[in-house]
Amino acid sequence: MLNQLMNMIFTTSFGYAIIRITSPILFAALAAVVAEKAGVTNIGLEGTMMFSSLFGVLFAYWTNNWLVGVLAAMVVGILIALVMGIFALKLKTNIILAGTAINIAGSGGTIFLLYLFTGLRGNTANLTTPQMLTPKINIPIIKDIPVIGAIFSGHSILTYVSFILVIVVWILLYKTALGLRIRAVGENTNAADSVGVSVLKTQYIALMISGALSGIGGAYMSMYYSQSWNTGIVAGRGFIALAARAMGQGEPVGAMLASLLFGFASALGNKMEGLQGFSSYLVGAIPYAVTIIGLSIYAVTQLKKSRKKS
Amino acid sequence: MKKFISVALASVMVVAMAAGCSSSKQSAPAETEEQGTEAEGTVYNVCNLVNGNLGDKSFFDSAEAGLKSLQDAGRITYTTIEMGGSTEDQAKWQSYLEEVSSSGEYDVIICGTYQMPDYLKNVAEAYPDQKYVIYDDTTYTLDNVLNLSYKQNDLGYLVGVFAGSLTQDTSFEGINEDNVIGFVGGVDSPVINDFLYGYILGAQSVNPDIKVDTRYVGSYIDPAKGKELGESMINDNNCDIVWGVAGNSGNGAAEAAQETGKAYFIGVDSDQELTFSPELAAVTLSSGLKNVGQSLVWVFDELDAGNEHWGEHITLGINEGGVGIVTDKNFTTTPQAVQDAVNKAIEDVSSGAVEVPTAIGDESGAVEALRESVKP
Repeated sequence: MLNQLMNMIFTTSFGYAIIRITSPILFAALAAVVAEKAGVTNIGLEGTMMFSSLFGVLFAYWTNNWLVGVLAAMVVGILIALVMGIFALKLKTNIILAGTAINIAGSGGTIFLLYLFTGLRGNTANLTTPQMLTPKINIPIIKDIPVIGAIFSGHSILTYVSFILVIVVWILLYKTALGLRIRAVGENTNAADSVGVSVLKTQYIALMISGALSGIGGAYMSMYYSQSWNTGIVAGRGFIALAARAMGQGEPVGAMLASLLFGFASALGNKMEGLQGFSSYLVGAIPYAVTIIGLSIYAVTQLKKSRKKS
Repeated sequence: MKKFISVALASVMVVAMAAGCSSSKQSAPAETEEQGTEAEGTVYNVCNLVNGNLGDKSFFDSAEAGLKSLQDAGRITYTTIEMGGSTEDQAKWQSYLEEVSSSGEYDVIICGTYQMPDYLKNVAEAYPDQKYVIYDDTTYTLDNVLNLSYKQNDLGYLVGVFAGSLTQDTSFEGINEDNVIGFVGGVDSPVINDFLYGYILGAQSVNPDIKVDTRYVGSYIDPAKGKELGESMINDNNCDIVWGVAGNSGNGAAEAAQETGKAYFIGVDSDQELTFSPELAAVTLSSGLKNVGQSLVWVFDELDAGNEHWGEHITLGINEGGVGIVTDKNFTTTPQAVQDAVNKAIEDVSSGAVEVPTAIGDESGAVEALRESVKP
């Protein structure tokens, strides 16, 4: 049995699957990182992804062009972030409640919108054309290297975007003036305010970036990972991303590593289920168990650190 | 002034909402007129409560089509209420049930799926004179409720015979030499395992050494995970036929078959070839059918014949039109021997020559043991 598992793990398809599972979580985790850096907890990632995944498909369908769909998904993500911003920052509602409201609207409202725009009510499986799906990219040179090529080449263009965005977000946060303002606002609102940084504006911008990132994550779900949109398609990935952000200590690279860990655990679970003697209930819990273990390890190291300091 | 406008707007909204509710309830029967073409037959007034929305291309549409055909034949008049399927909508299901029950207008109230029994139980006990039909559920037995369920084990058997014989025929394009087929289930539950039980037994009946790779998504709405499972079956175990019994998650398995180009897909509940994009439909060879609409027609056939089944659990099989397998379109492109095997299986099951055991109510662990023993 162990042999069989090893045979499954040491395949290129296993590595490929890890990257594919990681990517949507990574988009949302980066979104959480940016918002949290500005002191805004964006718990509405799941709902934002639901709306974006729907509008991505709709715009791609109307124009028969995937790029328009992805851009529309981003714009919708930004708009939803703005709605959250208006409620949380301007009207001073609790941001957690605003995010929860977005999540609830994302589950029910998307069905309503789908019906409004297309007359369909459950999924968009019969609208899909090949032009609506984000293209897969074969990277020259790398694709010809054995093993590496099969793992890293041939992903959707969005998969590569997600990993490039890790670097982009890092640069944004640590090498630009905007990033400095975002971090200043998140660290200490009053101090930032006293030196003339507009707290509100900075938080709005951070939320909008967060919305755009989760918006692409939504497009990934419905325009590549699945070929069509259906009710509840994000299936909790927006929440897992929040855990990934926490586990990655709120840093872009950390969030990527945490997302990869989750991707690895999910891919492992998917493979193990095919083996004799593993219950699907047990296997289904693996990714979540790994997340809890990861968070515990993180908490313990933090505790040790703070003890050393004191 | 501002205040006045906001009050005015609010009242307009309230009125609009109220109007929206009432109109939606009466939209369906508006054009209905009791024609009573059958001189001697009673024309039943039926209420069809949909705990979701029409357009699912599955149970709800099937039920609607069945009732429509009955109405067109002048045997019933009916009203369909779409109650919505989201978590927020669930809060209203019971009040809808109470409302239509207390109105006393309907001879029969129909609802269905595993989500409804608890709501129905509360209301059915409060209105003992009202008759109800619930389809695809066997949770409770109540004096005024007829429970309809479907022999998904028989249906699974037919699909199993199809997959089991096709995977042996390497002359069919895309079929590999490995004797492995796949099953992507929604949740590891008795109903899903009932499909699986028949599937494995059917495959074994034509192909004793068959291996069946069974995995569960754990959800009916996560096609991405369905795709991961499907791809792992296809890439790691050389599955060449995957049956998806997982709602929307099953569609992911169809995508896995299409994107790898190394496998075929079989659908479930409704004819999924009709619901897919042309690319996905091309790899979908058949679908196992649960004919909710047919089963409702059967109910009224029985009522007209004077047979009342209130308080009973009725399981409908091939003979009653409750289950079946799609045998047109892509199915006709498969080898003749495979088609013959499926047609023979249909005959055997409907004549009773083959009896397929069920996983529902089975406490012996036979299904789990069988599932383990055929894993590749």
